[in-house]
Amino acid sequence: MSTPLVKLEKVSTGYDSKAVLRDVSLEIHPDDFIGVIGPNGGGKTTLVKVILGILPLFKGRVTFPSGKPKTGYLPQASQIDRTFPISVKELVSAGLKAPNGWFPRLSRKQRQKVNRMLEEAGLENLASKPIGELSGGQLQKAFLCRALINQPQLLILDEPNTYVDKNFEQELYAWLKKLSPDKAIMLISHDIGTITPMVKSIACVNGGLHYHPSNQLTEEVMKVYNCPVDVIAHGPIPHRVLKTHDS
Amino acid sequence: MTELLSIFEYQFFRHAMAAAVLTSILAAMIGTYIVSRKIVFISGGITHASFGGIGMAFYMGLNPFFGAAVFAVLTALGIEWISSRGKVREDSAIAILWSLGMALGIIFVFLTPGYTPNLMSFLFGSILSVGIAELQLLLIFCIFMALFYLVFYRPVVYSAFDPEFSKIMGIPVAFYRYIMAVLIALAIVISIRTVGIILVLSLFTIPQITAMLFTRSFARIIPLAALWGIIGSVAGLYSAYLFDIPTGAAMIFFLTLQFLVIKGIFLIRGLLIRTAA
Ligand SMILES: Nc1ncnc2c1ncn2[C@@H]1O[C@H](COP(=O)(O)OP(=O)(O)O)[C@@H](O)[C@H]1O
Ligand SMILES: [Mg+2]
Repeated sequence: MSTPLVKLEKVSTGYDSKAVLRDVSLEIHPDDFIGVIGPNGGGKTTLVKVILGILPLFKGRVTFPSGKPKTGYLPQASQIDRTFPISVKELVSAGLKAPNGWFPRLSRKQRQKVNRMLEEAGLENLASKPIGELSGGQLQKAFLCRALINQPQLLILDEPNTYVDKNFEQELYAWLKKLSPDKAIMLISHDIGTITPMVKSIACVNGGLHYHPSNQLTEEVMKVYNCPVDVIAHGPIPHRVLKTHDS
Repeated sequence: MTELLSIFEYQFFRHAMAAAVLTSILAAMIGTYIVSRKIVFISGGITHASFGGIGMAFYMGLNPFFGAAVFAVLTALGIEWISSRGKVREDSAIAILWSLGMALGIIFVFLTPGYTPNLMSFLFGSILSVGIAELQLLLIFCIFMALFYLVFYRPVVYSAFDPEFSKIMGIPVAFYRYIMAVLIALAIVISIRTVGIILVLSLFTIPQITAMLFTRSFARIIPLAALWGIIGSVAGLYSAYLFDIPTGAAMIFFLTLQFLVIKGIFLIRGLLIRTAA
């Protein structure tokens, strides 16, 4: 077993005094690819904020056994003001730490890095466009660039498929697959079907957290976990999505 | 033309022109932040709360601008604090400070023995009596603000756009937000002299919104807003002189007219492009 990057031990947290997560324990290892599912309001985003260290805990502790890992983060779309006057290039640059805190401007090397990142994402022609002019998919790609530019060890994506059409979603996931061998990825989605084939394990967040060390969820397990996801809205769970065929 | 220029022989008009230009530049730098972060209402609260400081300073025989600055800065810090805690509903808190400031101002001015000739000038501005010391103060603030952006552009914009991500990146977000709150308060108080409490916020928003018709880049909105601010306020100042109407109101009227005309041109152009296609 490798040393975990992040270790949550019996964490309880919430907002003001309202508890959202209770007794959550989780380890994220360097080669993990965790799919996080759960109903709306179940606390998925709250869990992310705990891992990122921007939400105080009621109880429990979060530790980083091998030092605080470099972390890339793609926030949930609803947290972003798309009308803010900031260009794609500026957005991606936000993922870089300025070399000097007192004179926080980027070095030329860093600016080149931003350009290369944009090229890799196929966004180079949109570099100076304001983010408000991008399509949903392009915008999520730009946010992914911001999350990736500092070469994180841990990548956390909070519902990156929001406002994204299906083609784009596949492209996004292909990219993640390419990245996954050398970093830990935590992918949050309320759409279980599209993420299960890629992930290595599944965490189900609904007030508590249930960790499932494979990507094969059965209907029974889901019931036990009290983790309805969007299944209720979409009717019965399509079998093939939940279980890869035993051929 | 010579008649239009002849007015420059008067020192008070030269000062007024300089004040209009400098205030427009300052308002462009601060107002772009206000409009981008969508804190126009907060800024309105700061502006009106400062009237309480003016009244109190009058009553105690102090410099009214000092009183306004103290009230404005405290209000700005208070609102930023409330919104960072997210407990009280921010807009209700602002409404309370807004009306409390105005009420205190009126009460204290009423209680002040003797005649208070300057009250109207605080409400509506008195750009025609701006002195050289005030111009110097405006100029220093403009230069400071430009240098501040030159150095701290990234953390200021990122803290405004996505505070959580910025925090993760190690930017002291709260620090930059409080600094900007103080700068907004001081810029508003300095500009009250030019157009008055009631209209000052227009100077911090209308040129910026006009500029945003042309560009959606924070860094480019600033010079463009300064340009539109200067054009509109100078035009207003001239017409105030020509038609003998209040300066502050004339300036804001022209800024608004300018916005409406440009917006109209954009709408018509858009319509033409669509029908041609
Ligand atoms: N900033 C906040 N202040 C108060 N309550 C919040 C805040 N953010 C989220 N909540 C509440 O916490 C619960 C979990 O929210 P969240 O973690 O966003 O769920 P999910 O991401 O799974 O949809 C919800 O009931 C939500 O209303
Ligand atoms: Mg969420």
